[in-house]
Amino acid sequence: MPDAIVAEGLSKTFNGTVKAVDTISFSVRQGEVYGFLGPNGAGKTTTLSMLTAVLGLTAGKATVDGLDVSRHPHELKQRIGLVFQESTADQDLTGRENLVLAAALFGVPLRDTPKRVNELLARLALADSADRLVKTYSGGMRRRLELAVGIIHSPRVLFLDEPTLGLDPQGRAGFWKIIGELRKDTGLTVFLTTHYLDEADGMCDRIAIIDHGKIVATGTPSELKDRVGGDVVTVRPLGDASALEPALRALPGVTGVASQDGTFRVKCPSGEALIPKVVGAATNLGLSLAGVSLRRPSLDEVFLEFTGREFREDEGPTATDRAVFMSRFQDARRGRR
Amino acid sequence: MNVRRWSALTKRELLKISRNPAAIVTSLMLPILYLVLFGQGFNFTSFLNTPGLTPAQKSQFLAQYLLGAPDYFSYFAAGMVGFVSVTATLFVGANVIFDKLFGSLKRTAASPASATDIFGARLVAGSIQPVGLAFLVLGLAILLGYAGLAGLHVSGSVTVVGVLEIVAAILILSLMFASLFLALGFSIDQPQTYFALVNAINLPVLLTSAALYPWGAMPSWLQGIASYNPITLAVEVLRINLFGGAYYPDPAWVYLLGLVGWAAAMFAIATLLTAKALAPKV
Repeated sequence: MPDAIVAEGLSKTFNGTVKAVDTISFSVRQGEVYGFLGPNGAGKTTTLSMLTAVLGLTAGKATVDGLDVSRHPHELKQRIGLVFQESTADQDLTGRENLVLAAALFGVPLRDTPKRVNELLARLALADSADRLVKTYSGGMRRRLELAVGIIHSPRVLFLDEPTLGLDPQGRAGFWKIIGELRKDTGLTVFLTTHYLDEADGMCDRIAIIDHGKIVATGTPSELKDRVGGDVVTVRPLGDASALEPALRALPGVTGVASQDGTFRVKCPSGEALIPKVVGAATNLGLSLAGVSLRRPSLDEVFLEFTGREFREDEGPTATDRAVFMSRFQDARRGRR
Repeated sequence: MNVRRWSALTKRELLKISRNPAAIVTSLMLPILYLVLFGQGFNFTSFLNTPGLTPAQKSQFLAQYLLGAPDYFSYFAAGMVGFVSVTATLFVGANVIFDKLFGSLKRTAASPASATDIFGARLVAGSIQPVGLAFLVLGLAILLGYAGLAGLHVSGSVTVVGVLEIVAAILILSLMFASLFLALGFSIDQPQTYFALVNAINLPVLLTSAALYPWGAMPSWLQGIASYNPITLAVEVLRINLFGGAYYPDPAWVYLLGLVGWAAAMFAIATLLTAKALAPKV
């Protein structure tokens, strides 16, 4: 089976100077959930916009479901589903009216429309509020309506741009439950962007970490974590413990020891099995320990490893954000757009 | 063009218009204020009713200044009916900008709907509504005469063809202005920029037309400009049918043809600008 999404050397430059996406290549297999993880302004949404024919490509080539995105934007739009970051439903229309409109736009056969609309309203727990104006909907209801609009035509590939931004944990869990059901029922391929590490970890089959417009690492969440080098056992001895370091290095399975302010960080594939050995080694040397703790690698550490920076979900605007904003501002002043 | 997409989008526009009565009230506000204030205070032909003037002098005056309308208010009210096409289509462009701000245009643009479907739906929905509103203003102008105020007197004999010509004139004028305002709406992102531009267009277009001025009182250079003004062309079709065409150089269909030319040109420009605005950003 050919891959659902193939990107080769994809680039996007704004105003001829700001490289929002810089020559990236990746592929997404059929039926896979593929996540683009990165901080704000890393180029996630720009990539998604190019793959969905919302933005033109500066360079490179991309195919989605076998269609070249530059050459067949119209056919592409018919085959893919797209859920935007923000709410795009018509506020002055009811949930049902929004879905009926989407059904017409995305070519759901007229005779199937009422059934499809009712089915989605029920599936997304919107049946009771179907005939209320969208402006009366809560944030969670709006997100579910966005998803319903995105999948009204049973697309083969679904693009989600920060789909759960602003939802509470319960709302996020509910959203992902529905995506899980859809995958099981229809074999849907999902491409999503997120800056929630736990979401990427729990929901994606594979992840690409993107920073400053470049992919810095790809793999399954566990592969990426393994690349960081397994578990970290932190040992805090009492008093002078300079003798402990060589003893720790000599323990079986230990791949590295780093010491800082009298604390040792011991890297190993399995931390649980190492802890009794650490305690044993300290006892043999006649040392007392203030504490031993085990940290399994999270994507946080993966991010740190590959980008050299801590992951911050609330980072301020990046250079790209500022450049895009300034170009819009200047265009608006000139009255061009 | 895809008929199903286009009709679904047209239905959406009509639903949105019907759920926003404030926009309808606002688009009627200006013409109504003109009728109940400006037109009442400015009805200078009332002095023709003073004793001493012969009927011949009176009709010569009316023919010279008002091209055969029975009084200034009637002449002017026909102008205001035409002006409704401008005040009512202005919201069509503003709605595009609000749909950009609220995200719903993003959804439509990402769908398989073509620029023609998206533009066409807004054009048709936005041009039907002013026809109804124009007839509302026409009815109101006539009724004012029965409420002790100056009112519109239909002095000609109105035929069925005449009514159809009036409908056509308002519809074509609305299509022209809806095209213009849609072109602006699709090309501009900020509501304040849009409204500033619309204000800069509205008044000059009204003031270079024959909607307000007695024709015979206009200097010839202004007459020259006004004869090509689309509002003038539509208003002349109204006046010919309401008051008789004896003093007009051409029959109503000539003015209708001129309007079609304006509408076609504006439609062509608007189609280009809309397609450009909805194409994937390079």
